[in-house]
Amino acid sequence: MGLIARVVEESGIPTISASSARDITGLVKPPRSVFVNFPLGHTTGKPFDRDLQTRIIKDAFEALRFIRDPGAIVDLPYQWQEGDDSWERAMNREAEGG
Amino acid sequence: MSPVRYVDYTRAVFAAQGFPPYEWLVNGPPPFTPFDKALEDCRVALLSTGGFYVRGKQDPFDPEKNDMGFREIPGDIDVSDLAVSHNYYDHSDADRDVNCVFPIERLRELEAEGYIGELAPVNYTIMGRIFRRTALVNETAHEIAEGLKRQEADVFFLVPA
Repeated sequence: MGLIARVVEESGIPTISASSARDITGLVKPPRSVFVNFPLGHTTGKPFDRDLQTRIIKDAFEALRFIRDPGAIVDLPYQWQEGDDSWERAMNREAEGG
Repeated sequence: MSPVRYVDYTRAVFAAQGFPPYEWLVNGPPPFTPFDKALEDCRVALLSTGGFYVRGKQDPFDPEKNDMGFREIPGDIDVSDLAVSHNYYDHSDADRDVNCVFPIERLRELEAEGYIGELAPVNYTIMGRIFRRTALVNETAHEIAEGLKRQEADVFFLVPA
């Protein structure tokens, strides 16, 4: 997807990308990104949580306005579960092959 | 916070399936077009990699891999007409509420609120898991870029699933 962002940006249309895979975004380098640390499938928020979805989208547009550094990734402050990162730790255990 | 290491995760999954390690693309600095317009004057187009298509009117994506096509989703689509064809992310929440990865209803609200100028008449969905990078850039991405020009989009918002 970052490749599409780069092609569109090069054609003269500014892009803003969301991401829930910070390491991949760091390699592919879309022109501007906001990182939402949620499980895949929820990049713009939880189901039926209109307020959260709207805040994430507005944060993305704020980043569009303020990023001046090509390839910058802005970390958004949202947590999937307040004070509980067990989903991340479970995924990272699988990343270690076990 | 320790973000999930998806590069390592993908390597571990591929190794467990007996495939050679996937080599992620490492890009140089991206192109950059300054954004200098007021958002409230902008026509915003949306893309999602969530594999959405209009049920009964468009073909589903190949849910496995390398579907190079894209679907054009009208800005005024009734979201209950959308379906997902994608085997590589858990779309159980997106099935119930497309706005989790294709926030088209939220953008319509932001248009009504005057936060953005308007949602583009044509928006885009693709299926991820495309390993044919050259074709993705030279065909799919360029066709989408041309579509954005044709409809005079000012901003492109991309949401991966």
